[in-house]
Amino acid sequence: MPNDALKDSLAEKRWLSALSKGDPTALGGLYEMYGERIFRYAYRMLGNRTDAEDATAETFLRVLRRSSELRADGAFRTWLFRITRNLCIDKLRQHKLLELPPDAMYSVSDDRATLRLTVHQALSELPIEYREPLMLCDLEDLAAKEAAEVLKISVPALKSRLYRGRRALKDKLQGTVDIK
Amino acid sequence: MYKKLVDLYAGRELSTELEIEMYQAAQQNPELALEMTQLRDTVDGLHQLAPIEFTEETSQRILMKIYAKGIEIQQPSPVPFHLQYQLPIQS
Repeated sequence: MPNDALKDSLAEKRWLSALSKGDPTALGGLYEMYGERIFRYAYRMLGNRTDAEDATAETFLRVLRRSSELRADGAFRTWLFRITRNLCIDKLRQHKLLELPPDAMYSVSDDRATLRLTVHQALSELPIEYREPLMLCDLEDLAAKEAAEVLKISVPALKSRLYRGRRALKDKLQGTVDIK
Repeated sequence: MYKKLVDLYAGRELSTELEIEMYQAAQQNPELALEMTQLRDTVDGLHQLAPIEFTEETSQRILMKIYAKGIEIQQPSPVPFHLQYQLPIQS
């Protein structure tokens, strides 16, 4: 296990154990570890900042509510993404927003910004079963096994959707972006 | 068979030896070369999407939303510098 991953895993165990004992700083520790990633994932699912902030806050409230059931066995991160995903899907259903609105803001404003917006737009037009594996594996860098657990599908099914999604994205980008 | 290999190539999941074989095959097959390039560019394009802004204000707004539900998140205090590293004691 790489050093950083080992350090994260130990910190996660420490915070989960502290959380189950009622340590008031434990939720803060877990938020510090995962808050940004969960927000980014929710933002990509929902496409707007306010809804993503709501989903992130609700995810951590659920961590607190379920603190007695959480196990520090490596499955916490997967569980966290799955909770966020379910909250996002509920929100999408509520707002009937099954398409991502293109209001994403990216931190870099150079020539690549146009390309990024084009890729983002093409991604938003993919069916959700293709979009989700791309977001989890290519954008959030989750391992195939973890992403499969978040989506509650098998690893081969995940990989099949991932590869099909990449090809579908490539087809969408052809003609709009100069991919040689 | 090539389609599967191109998928693995695009996601950088092939071993170096297989990648070299793919390059060699692509030299004889322009269609394959095009597919390899386009699919890898697509995956690279996705990776370039990464930085969505997570500012201090965003973080504070999330914490306020949690606070509004009656939960106060206490940020853990950072480990003091003198406890981060164990320095050898000279005798």
